[in-house]
Amino acid sequence: MAASFLFSQVMGGLTTAMFLFLIASGLSLVFGIMRVINFAHGSFYMLGAYLAWQGVQWLHPTGAGFWLATLFAAVTVGVLGAIIERVFFRSLYGREELYQLLFTYALVLILGDAAKFLWGVEQLSVSTPPILSGGIEIFGTTQPLYTLFIIAIGPAIAIAGSLVLSRTGIGRLVRAAQMDREMLDALGANVGAIYTGMFVFASFLAGLSGALVTPIQSIVPGMDVLIIVQAFIVVVIGGMGSFWGTFWGSVIYGEVLSFGILIFPGFSLFSVFALMAVILIVRPWGLFGRPL
Amino acid sequence: MSCRHYLVPMLAAAALWPLTAGAADNIKIGFPIPLSGPTAVYGKPVLAGAELAVQELNAKGGVLGRKFELLSRDSKASADEAVRLAREMIIKDSVDFLAGTLTSAEAPAVSTVAKENKIVFVAPTSKSTILTDEKHIHPYIFRVASNTDVEGLAGATLMARWKEVKKVATIAPDYAYGRDSIAGFIEALKKQRPDIQIVDQQWPKLGEADFTPFITAQMSTQPDAVYCSLFAGDFVTFTKSATPRGYFKAINNRMVDPAEIGTPDLAQALGDDYPYGVIGDAYDPVIWHGTEPPEHKKFIDDLKKFTNSQYGSGWSIVGYQAIYALAEGIKKAGNTKSDAVSKAMLGMSFDTPVGKRSFSEKSHETFAPEYWGVMVKDPNHPFAIMKDPELLPASFPTY
Amino acid sequence: MTTETTAPAAAPIGVAREGNWVRRIPWTLIVFLVLATVPWVGSRYDTFLAEQIAIDALFAVSLNLLLGTTGLVSFGHVAYFGVGAYVCGILMKTYEVPFIFAFPAAGLGTALFALVSGYFCVRLIKLYFAMLTLAFSQIVWAVAYKWNDVTGGDQGLPEIPFPDLDWMSAIPGLGDLRTNDQFYLLALAIIAVSLAILHRLVRSPFGRVLTTIRDNPERAAFIGVNVRAYQLAAFVVAGTFAGFAGALYGIFSRGVFADFVFWSKSAEVMIMAILGGMGYFWGPPVGAAVLVWLSQKITAYTEYWPFMLGTILLVLLFALPGGIVGGLAALWNRIQGRRRA
Repeated sequence: MAASFLFSQVMGGLTTAMFLFLIASGLSLVFGIMRVINFAHGSFYMLGAYLAWQGVQWLHPTGAGFWLATLFAAVTVGVLGAIIERVFFRSLYGREELYQLLFTYALVLILGDAAKFLWGVEQLSVSTPPILSGGIEIFGTTQPLYTLFIIAIGPAIAIAGSLVLSRTGIGRLVRAAQMDREMLDALGANVGAIYTGMFVFASFLAGLSGALVTPIQSIVPGMDVLIIVQAFIVVVIGGMGSFWGTFWGSVIYGEVLSFGILIFPGFSLFSVFALMAVILIVRPWGLFGRPL
Repeated sequence: MSCRHYLVPMLAAAALWPLTAGAADNIKIGFPIPLSGPTAVYGKPVLAGAELAVQELNAKGGVLGRKFELLSRDSKASADEAVRLAREMIIKDSVDFLAGTLTSAEAPAVSTVAKENKIVFVAPTSKSTILTDEKHIHPYIFRVASNTDVEGLAGATLMARWKEVKKVATIAPDYAYGRDSIAGFIEALKKQRPDIQIVDQQWPKLGEADFTPFITAQMSTQPDAVYCSLFAGDFVTFTKSATPRGYFKAINNRMVDPAEIGTPDLAQALGDDYPYGVIGDAYDPVIWHGTEPPEHKKFIDDLKKFTNSQYGSGWSIVGYQAIYALAEGIKKAGNTKSDAVSKAMLGMSFDTPVGKRSFSEKSHETFAPEYWGVMVKDPNHPFAIMKDPELLPASFPTY
Repeated sequence: MTTETTAPAAAPIGVAREGNWVRRIPWTLIVFLVLATVPWVGSRYDTFLAEQIAIDALFAVSLNLLLGTTGLVSFGHVAYFGVGAYVCGILMKTYEVPFIFAFPAAGLGTALFALVSGYFCVRLIKLYFAMLTLAFSQIVWAVAYKWNDVTGGDQGLPEIPFPDLDWMSAIPGLGDLRTNDQFYLLALAIIAVSLAILHRLVRSPFGRVLTTIRDNPERAAFIGVNVRAYQLAAFVVAGTFAGFAGALYGIFSRGVFADFVFWSKSAEVMIMAILGGMGYFWGPPVGAAVLVWLSQKITAYTEYWPFMLGTILLVLLFALPGGIVGGLAALWNRIQGRRRA
């Protein structure tokens, strides 16, 4: 096995990992703070992809408007997140987790059909933005610029996110909300605003990752249901509610998938679910999380 | 507490409310086909071809004085869904015949429904040999599609022409069609070029979202050429991931794909991202080089009008053939009873816009050859087209 | 977040509130006898629908043993349905084992799988429990999807044979029925017996312990109940009956496919349970009937069934948390109350 090949495989795994990180980090934040598993997070990702496609069509079908379309998609999904949190979610806090799970599942059904209604069932695709359409030679392999960009953006968001969480006042409130929300409430903090803020931020990240994935994957109905299960796995591996845990969880997932197909080609699907089960059994709080 | 005891019988009664509508005297054909998801890009034109055939036949007064009625349902390319729909159409809508399905996951599953309900089923696109092999053949299954042995022979013939190629890799979807396709190719290639070595085989799942690890793994084995059975949306996703990694450059664009990537449908989906120079095939190249048979020209013109599209489709012809084969069988049998029609169809010939086809008596299929050629950039069209299509294989030992 | 705050779940299951003449009529038996006449009075399609509803009803009731009775939110119940379907299907098709052995074997196989997976699941609480059940069900799905030689992979396992029903043809009046209809009667009888067993179980002291665990696990532990052991027992029983439902479903749908086991099916059966009312034993069957019937009605007019289902779910969650049976029970109580007043 040549070094260049190993390098390619690692990079491929990292690309998968960084997309998953963008999605899963939002899922993990929402879980950590609100104790809600949001099935609809995958739908936000899907909407991000469709909205980005729509934006590109409006601006410039050859792909020149990609960046603006991406921003448009992420912001729109963020606004949608705000509406959903304010109108519906709010009344479900304090209800059994079953009702919250089913509410987010109802969103999956409704948003999935809404996307079908708006954009049809055929697969759509977006061209790579011209500035990143080439590739560069590294270690005798050709690495597409776009995937290098994705590999760079993942850690950038992880670092920015963790700085906000550890250094700012908002971050302290969020961490406090994670630990004990009744206490925070008693101290007079506006817990409702923190919840809305976090939910919007998580939705924004999901929309962003959906938009960014369009140049390398086709947009099809059903992409919401496929991605959410993968995001769950990542969150479980890293530890629900743990930000850096989600980052490393994504990296582990991406690389297991990338190398899994070499070792046992037919069973890479099986291996990631088995990993998820084993971690839940041995360390339910994940490799990098703390027991709740 | 007592109220819930009333409720159950009430709802049971409501549930049993008859839903079946009164059936007219039409000849009903149930047509499960993927109309959503990555394979819809093929499913929709196949259905359009079938609809065109029904319209033409009905305009001429139908068959035996009865008109055709096509009931199409979205099978989502899933065996489970296709079986459920086929059974539902038999039980609820009392269809007389089944046609349709796209993938080789759906067709063999629907074939078992046809067998159990004794209803003729014509598969327009499923190529996997398991559909009609000795173990699975039954009186009611027929296929107008080619099969994986036929396409494998054609593909191997083309691959063998590259004298400098010594190392070949394969990549195919991990399900019935993909596995049979690669098996058919390798068997034929071994006979023609025993010196060629198969250096790598990749099996991504059907509808794979990320082909990157498969691409990099395959490139590391440094093949001279690739036999690729990916199709529809999978081929689009694969290409978009492979091109920027220099995959096609590394093999000098020596790729043969037997899964109808030579249709304008797929070429339009990829646009300028098409990996020009690879060899693809199609049941109908649509844009015809050389002397075009008048029947084909008329078919494509009608199709363009019918679907209101600029170029037509390379897929509609198989849906069209499936309906005409059924109509011919009904005419020959003199009634619409599946037992009689299935007997009439054995060895039966029927005309198509690309020539005569006939069903083998033993395996109920036509061993249809396809058009193959290098896909090139064309100044007259905004997408890749097939250069000098060649009908292959030239002959096939039918069984 | 204790369950006591939510009214529907806290409603007692199977506890008689008032004994009047309405109660003394064996309604359950009558419903099953009425359903048994469908092959004679209805069309083939009616039988098809009734069979689908009956199987879904058993599946939903088995889930409700966890959901409503024990308070365990399983998001992977379809795994046990799938294991039952595959075990029975593989035995009958590949190994030509008669139904009379294959069917109990499916139950046994599912019970074993539920015992092993349940052992790990019940050690976790709340969302972690839900996640682990989801993980197990996706493992079953991945195996079904990829293990071509045994499960048929994504092609599935079509052509599951019907059980040998010659004995039924010997019974006067049943001989001229289609095989489909004969199997419907067999399935209906099996489902009736299964539901009767589950009903008994819920009303038994065992069932009451489960309800105590649901309402207050700490208190249950305090009075000396081995909470995990009881939860595991409920898990195994629920899994086994889901396996029976799956085994019947594989034969009913003439094949077993990997899609049966995909996680979204777990959500569907959960919706059935909640739609009917998970605080009532007969809630889930009502939910199954309404959902199957609605989906047939609605898909005839629009392809946007998931949208409708999502909307139904929203209405349920925000306006009718007790489900249909819960809502009707509340209405009935109000009428009764007014009459007395």
